[in-house]
Amino acid sequence: MIVVDDVHKRYRTNHGPGDWVLRGVSFTIPARLSVGLIGHNGAGKSTLLRLIGGVDQPNRGRIERHCRVSWPMGFGGGLQGSLTGRQNAKFVCRIHGCDANLAERLEAVQRFAEIGKAFDEPVRTYSSGMKARLQFALSLAFEFDVYISDEVTSAGDAAFRKKAAAAFQDLTERASIIMVSHGEGTLKQFCTAGIWLNDGRATWFDRIDDALAAYKASRES
Amino acid sequence: MSAIRNTVAIWKALFLREALSRFFLERGAWLWLIAEPIVHVAYLLVIYTVVRAHSIGGVDTAMWLLLGLQGFFLFRRTATQAMNALEANAALFTYRQVKPVDTVLVRGFLEAMLLAVVTLILLAGAGLLGHDVTPDRPLALLAAFIGLWLMGLGFALVASVASELVPELGRIQKIAMMPLYLVSGVVFPLAAVPQPYRDWLLYNPVAHGLEAARLAFTDHYHAVPELSTDYLYACALVSVFFGLALHRRFATRLVMQ
Repeated sequence: MIVVDDVHKRYRTNHGPGDWVLRGVSFTIPARLSVGLIGHNGAGKSTLLRLIGGVDQPNRGRIERHCRVSWPMGFGGGLQGSLTGRQNAKFVCRIHGCDANLAERLEAVQRFAEIGKAFDEPVRTYSSGMKARLQFALSLAFEFDVYISDEVTSAGDAAFRKKAAAAFQDLTERASIIMVSHGEGTLKQFCTAGIWLNDGRATWFDRIDDALAAYKASRES
Repeated sequence: MSAIRNTVAIWKALFLREALSRFFLERGAWLWLIAEPIVHVAYLLVIYTVVRAHSIGGVDTAMWLLLGLQGFFLFRRTATQAMNALEANAALFTYRQVKPVDTVLVRGFLEAMLLAVVTLILLAGAGLLGHDVTPDRPLALLAAFIGLWLMGLGFALVASVASELVPELGRIQKIAMMPLYLVSGVVFPLAAVPQPYRDWLLYNPVAHGLEAARLAFTDHYHAVPELSTDYLYACALVSVFFGLALHRRFATRLVMQ
């Protein structure tokens, strides 16, 4: 279960604090329920995901995680460019306390990422698709109760997208997902409930179809 | 117990990662890491022993310089490296179990290990060249070096938070570091400075650390009479605790964007 209570968030800019991105967002995500975040560009979807993932902190309000939540997968963060894919993967395994079966996990990551010899090259030489593959493979190597995905299924080429979707489908059997995606099909495929972000506030819908409908209605008006 | 185990796992992962990037990021980086202080000491040694004097304050110039430089580097490299830890590791805060303070502590520890290795190499070299390299009071020497390291760590803990909250402070700290080399008595004996100026210089805890190290190495060294290891440790511990408190207080601010 994840509780988001009256969360406010704004970013520091060069000329003082910026506008509020989130103003008073509250909802509770029950265990084992997959949720899609919907909203126009800049509505605060990624911000909310980062707050839920604990990468960033809200200015006001609180977020409680009563389960194992993954780091937000799918954006460029979390990989150091000067180190190789393998070294980055080792680091992530170690901070998750998986020293004992490090070799197995590395093998699993390498197998899923399918980036070949590049696994032993510095990450800064990777294309964005290769980076996405590595990140996705990394987060799959650990058992979380909730996976946070920021457009991760739209990264990479068609073959990888298919593979990622299949892996996601497997995930939903044992864990839940909180995802941002602009693909309506993806959202409908994986999510049961939906959260519509608009004007810094969040509206909860028990069915993702209703959330999509509300979002579309707001864009037409 | 599991909280401690987690922290240790994170420290270990960070340490290996930092060591890796420190040693192998550039071509021959590990060589320069060791060669740089050796060349620095050798260069000054030639100038001092050939041009100037064979003994300072009643001790071998080579050992006097070597201890002063290594002690000073221990402080300065710990301070500057660990201070920049937050900036260099910003990408890692994606994993919420990695706290800013972890990166500072780990960098400080790595620097201490590096300096210890370099110092041992230098002492071995000096020994081969016929200098007396056995300290009279090894434990006191260790205590002086640990004090200098703690001072560097404390500085880094405070400075890393301060420069994150007020970026201008980062620049001022860099400027303040520059003359420290001269006023800490690394290359000239502080005992030769007349009063009242010596008292001013001795407000600097690093100067106490260097003199204490030299006195521990040779019992008959003419150290400054005002020497106080207690002062060094007081400054070091206060700054370490103040720094840790700052990290605790601003833990969320440091990862906020």
